[in-house]
Amino acid sequence: MKAAGLAIACLLLAGAAEAQQLKWNFDKLAARASDSVDVSLEGPLLRLGTSFLSDTDKDQAKIKKLVGGLKGIYVRTFEFKKPGEYSAADVESFRAPLHGPEWQRIVGVHSNEEGETVEVYIRSEAKGIGGLAIIACEPKELTLVNIVGPIDLDSLSELGGQFGIPEVEVDKKK
Amino acid sequence: MASLDDELRSALRRREPSPDFTQRVLARVAAAPVRRAPRVSLAGVRWVAAMAATLLLAAGGLEYRHYQGERAKSQVLLAVRIAGSKLNKAQKKVQMLTHRSIS
Repeated sequence: MKAAGLAIACLLLAGAAEAQQLKWNFDKLAARASDSVDVSLEGPLLRLGTSFLSDTDKDQAKIKKLVGGLKGIYVRTFEFKKPGEYSAADVESFRAPLHGPEWQRIVGVHSNEEGETVEVYIRSEAKGIGGLAIIACEPKELTLVNIVGPIDLDSLSELGGQFGIPEVEVDKKK
Repeated sequence: MASLDDELRSALRRREPSPDFTQRVLARVAAAPVRRAPRVSLAGVRWVAAMAATLLLAAGGLEYRHYQGERAKSQVLLAVRIAGSKLNKAQKKVQMLTHRSIS
């Protein structure tokens, strides 16, 4: 009986993560990109990965705390051989689901010099931040991040700004 | 020399067994306990095979779980690194612009 209850709870949690996950379509970009990174973690796999993070390593312990309550992490990075391989319309298609009332754009920075744009959106919930979306455009790179669950932005930014996080070997896909 | 030959001949001469010799031998054979080679039961073999298969599966399962965990951990680290770096970049740009506008 308890096992059945646990299974139902897991299914509900997985369903909740899926419901909050942004429905982005990457097919067009994936076809044009020279390289791409795809991280899609939710439910049991996310918990398994988190459980493998060290408690004694300072940086990993911070990350473990940061991602401990998350329901899903989805990151896509597309690299292109030359600038102009993706259009403003492509980017707008990723912005579209973020126009809903639950999403709020908190940062939008653009650099003409470097041709870079970074937009940060948060999903507001009664208890605080319930999700995060980042759209980062560079001339030859487009990165999309969707985090489902409560996230501490300062900790995440701090972890991204330091060199303590080890470089990870990834299988780059065409 | 001749007496040695005689002694040997006498010692090695053919002697007939007693008339009941065959019956006594057969009686001894019948009375002796039968020793059989130890038999390995099929059920035992199956049990050992099942145990070995279970252990092998468990070891393989643990190994695969460990591989999955390490892979998921790498993905968590990569995701945090990418998300954090983009957020950090935006934050720094905002700070820089704020600093510029103040000064």
